[in-house]
Amino acid sequence: MAARASDTAILSAKPRKKPRIIVSKILMTLFFVMLAVAFVFPLYWMVISSLRPEGRIFVDAFDVFPSVLSLDSYRTLFEEEPFGRWMLNSVLQTGGFAITALFLCTTGGYALAKFRFRGRNLLFVLILVSQMIPFHLLIVSLFLMIIQLGMVESYWGAIIPIAASPIGIFFVRQYMLSIDDELLNAARVDGANEYQIFWSIVLPNARPAIATLFILFSLEYWNNLLWPLIVFRQAENMPLAVGVSRLVNQYRAQYDLVMAGSTLATIPIILLFLFLRRQVMEGLAATGTGMK
Amino acid sequence: MLKPVYTILNNKKVVPFVFLLPFMTVFLIFKVYPVITAVIMSFQNFQGIQSQEWVGLTNYQNVFDLVRFNQALTNTTAYTLGTLLVLIPLPLILAVLLDSGRVVQSTVFRTLLFLPALTSLVVTGTIFRLMLAENGFINLFLEATLGVRPLRWLEIADLALPSLIVVATWRWTGINILYFNSGLVNIPRELYEAATIDGANVFQLFWSITLPLLRPTTLFVVVLSIIGGYQVFVEPFIVYNGGGGPGDSALSMALLIYRTAFTSFNFGTAAAMGVILAAIIFVFSLIQFRFFGVFRQED
Repeated sequence: MAARASDTAILSAKPRKKPRIIVSKILMTLFFVMLAVAFVFPLYWMVISSLRPEGRIFVDAFDVFPSVLSLDSYRTLFEEEPFGRWMLNSVLQTGGFAITALFLCTTGGYALAKFRFRGRNLLFVLILVSQMIPFHLLIVSLFLMIIQLGMVESYWGAIIPIAASPIGIFFVRQYMLSIDDELLNAARVDGANEYQIFWSIVLPNARPAIATLFILFSLEYWNNLLWPLIVFRQAENMPLAVGVSRLVNQYRAQYDLVMAGSTLATIPIILLFLFLRRQVMEGLAATGTGMK
Repeated sequence: MLKPVYTILNNKKVVPFVFLLPFMTVFLIFKVYPVITAVIMSFQNFQGIQSQEWVGLTNYQNVFDLVRFNQALTNTTAYTLGTLLVLIPLPLILAVLLDSGRVVQSTVFRTLLFLPALTSLVVTGTIFRLMLAENGFINLFLEATLGVRPLRWLEIADLALPSLIVVATWRWTGINILYFNSGLVNIPRELYEAATIDGANVFQLFWSITLPLLRPTTLFVVVLSIIGGYQVFVEPFIVYNGGGGPGDSALSMALLIYRTAFTSFNFGTAAAMGVILAAIIFVFSLIQFRFFGVFRQED
């Protein structure tokens, strides 16, 4: 998926006349600037709305660059809502989910990539088919199951039932196919057992895939609503997404709180993304196209 | 005592199963088993936790007799079609333009258009609930620029679908551009050069090279959008305050299932709705797999 030089695609394949090219370049870039402004604007609006003084959120709705800003909504959020708790829950649950899902997908993906065994193809198809099962078919059964297992209101109840990710295991398998068998066999000859090989050869060699998947799993859980919404009823156990969804229904009029909560749920992700941009974007593109 | 265990665990026939054990355990317990129980439940009168009895196809009959269900099915289908009409051509064209070499800093634009995909759907919903309010930004903007009188986006039934499509366009355009882009970079540039030498113009290049060679990607995105569209839940849940919108105009199938299960505690009916939703998605996914040939695995 190496990026191709930018002068290769269709429009520029035409024989060029210089001034025309420059004009069209300017117009085209201008068009995308406007488009980008339109797409980033709602995020800006979220932040700026969260900073408006109390009660000004609709009154000042056309004031794009407000001169008076206030952190009141953030203060209220932490003082009157368990918002700090929600953030902590989100961090812990997201980490727990990403690690659990990674453990399942790296071990399982390794087995699918590097071993031949009876029933492998059947398993492959089964996992693939499971991917098209809508989660809403499962919610009632899963809800009754976690009640019986005593996992309601627990982190594990939120994490385990959604941790066996079909896309994840395929992603790992695809990547691990490219690990040289000779490497593994050489270690076997040297007397390493299969688990040492997995730990000290396979995992280090799959590091880029693991890192990408860790990010994608984290993003998935951090932004997930439906399952944690079912698992958690107690405010002190909820992750951010559920907390904010509660706020938006609880405080129908208090949009400033909701916007502050939304901002705090989003900005860390965007900052993190700016550091890991390539990994996230290429990883997502690969989960889409890598399954062919 | 330890030695034989060690030998067995290191046996080449056993090893793959040991590695598969964690994934398969979770997969079978929390994915396969609940599907089976959900299907069974759909044939039972299952209210709350107690009292389940076989009722055959009654749940399904009830579901299809339910005005709300038919409304939800229509809404969801319309939403899915609407998002397809926007979220295939728009990102496709934008991806081609961004790849054309005529946009300065195209990676920056790809990144900026992608940012909405990082937000939680809850956040997406709260932002648009604020902006679509009667005295919200969108109305003020439309009034200032086009002189449109303020529309009650969230209160008029006919505006529910357009509102949700606007939300979807914001949230998914960037990621679809990403998919199309990864398809575009795999098209050999020689094809364009050869065709250009033969006198093809830009539009001919697009029609006869880009579109056909992008077919697998396009189909992938189409089916992904269909599967996602039919499962739409969070956006109406947040934008319309947990309800189905004015006159149930924003009631999606997933939202109805959630409410049937967790507001009415009518588990049997919810399960039947889930099976119907799964059947619809299954049909579209099979089409995908046929086109992508996933069943023709190597070896």
